[in-house]
Amino acid sequence: MVPLENYLALSGILFSIGFYGVLARRNAVLILMSIELMLNAVSLNFIAFAAYLDPDRIIGAIFAVFVITVAAAEVGLALAIVIRLFRNRATSNVDDAAIMKW
Amino acid sequence: MRDYSLFIPEFIAGGLAAAIIAAELFWPSIRRETLAYLTALAAVAWGVASLFYAGNDPESFQGLIQIDNFTTFFRLMGAGIVAVVALLSAQFLSGRTKTASEYYGLLLVAGCAMVYMASARELITAYIALELLSFCLYILVGYLKRDNLSSEASLKYILLGAFSSAIFLYGMSLIYGVTHSTYYDEIASSLASRSADTGQAAVVGFMLILAGVGFKVSAAPFQWWAPDAYEGAPLPVTAFLSTLSKAAGFALIIRLFTSALTPDAVEWRWAVAIVAGVTMTMGNLVAIQQTSMKRLIAYSSIGQVGYMLVVLAAIGWGDQEVGRNASTTLLLHLTGYVLSTLALFAALTAYFNRTGKDTITGMRGMAETQPFLAMVITVSLFSFAGLPFFAGFATKLFMFQASITGDLLWLVGLAVLNSFISLYYYLMVIRQMYLFNPEEGLTRFKVSPVLWATAGVLMLGVIFIGSYPAPAFEAAERATETLFEQGPSLEATAR
Repeated sequence: MVPLENYLALSGILFSIGFYGVLARRNAVLILMSIELMLNAVSLNFIAFAAYLDPDRIIGAIFAVFVITVAAAEVGLALAIVIRLFRNRATSNVDDAAIMKW
Repeated sequence: MRDYSLFIPEFIAGGLAAAIIAAELFWPSIRRETLAYLTALAAVAWGVASLFYAGNDPESFQGLIQIDNFTTFFRLMGAGIVAVVALLSAQFLSGRTKTASEYYGLLLVAGCAMVYMASARELITAYIALELLSFCLYILVGYLKRDNLSSEASLKYILLGAFSSAIFLYGMSLIYGVTHSTYYDEIASSLASRSADTGQAAVVGFMLILAGVGFKVSAAPFQWWAPDAYEGAPLPVTAFLSTLSKAAGFALIIRLFTSALTPDAVEWRWAVAIVAGVTMTMGNLVAIQQTSMKRLIAYSSIGQVGYMLVVLAAIGWGDQEVGRNASTTLLLHLTGYVLSTLALFAALTAYFNRTGKDTITGMRGMAETQPFLAMVITVSLFSFAGLPFFAGFATKLFMFQASITGDLLWLVGLAVLNSFISLYYYLMVIRQMYLFNPEEGLTRFKVSPVLWATAGVLMLGVIFIGSYPAPAFEAAERATETLFEQGPSLEATAR
């Protein structure tokens, strides 16, 4: 059986890539995709922990289902807001959305 | 046992929210102001219904949600905030948007989300409630769709909010891995007896959770969304953000940290103390150079969050007795802060409706054009700064007094120093209002009676809590008594 550490390492790598993406990308849609990566890392973590450490109740797997559902809703809402900004200003680049500073 | 009667107040609020949305759908000619007053009435009904739960023994719904005095306290606070914000929005929204019913519906739903955040005793429930509140706020901030600032603020808020949720969740997943449970009680008992080799995972988990909730209550260094979201949002929504979302965040924090994470307080309390110190200093120093009133309030509320985080550090450092006193005073301070902020925004909204100005220089000469509003603003700013006879003085005094434990003296000293700094920029606003003549063409005007009465009542509340805090203190004390009673209190004291 694959040891738990491998799952945790994969999830750590995914999370770090997503974290880097949020900080480095300037397009709102790409930032959202990076956030999705982070959430997938979270789901992977929860499912791995549930399967290895909590096999009777699998609370982690239930949590993962909730994470996926909420993430879908979050992306829907965020895309709606991006479209709103695009209609007002014809850009989805977050650097252009900078009327307000400090 | 499934006892759905525990949620009757939220059923009332949620059902009326749906009814308000349906009302405009089926009856498009209904006046927007009527919708606002209906929302305020719905919030009052919600508050009255929750009064029936006051003083009852704590009851648990499947171990997920606990209805006790703490929940009742936040139910009443939430109902009050929603009612006031609905009244503030009545005049503001008409003429700015085509539809308004979703706005009022979302206010009520956000209030319910706050109750679930305060009552959750399990991580999944807490997370869902947190996201429900955040989603409502994302939409409310961007509600003025044609307004560039509003949609920009909304975008920044949702991107950073989703980012912080992901961080928060990763922290929760690590804690789940360490403790094998998401129930607060079980987390506490397994943290108390955890083996040493899980220490690193637990510490990283605590830090990520702290970062996640720090984002939500806008603690430094995670506060960057707050000034932009505050400035871009419609004025009443700014009031909503700075009261309800802060109160809800602290409700979640108190419940989570006191009932789940205290056994391992050694691992996170130093981080909380540092965050508190940085937050209050940063908020107050940056506030000095602001020109927009909304941004000034954003930074000043970041400073207030710093003061409130001192309490969390005290919960980590002190024993159970200290923790209980500290959380009582946090609730008291939160009440005073909410009252002062709402009074300030009631006056600002009334002024903005008439003049369209929300910069600090735009307030010049308000003492001549509208002396009553100038007085309300002065009272609430003095309350923020913590001058005697106003709520901020008494509540801050109690809070700092309760938080002084041997190791935290430096932090409390820093907080007092920060209060002095904050007085400077509050006085700059007051100077504009009282020492300058109004701009050309602005003469004395009247404000709508609803806003006048709202501002007046809130101002009296601020003065009442400031000069006679006993009743509010007792209410807060009864709210926190259940927090420390049940659960693994034995392990918590033996740490």
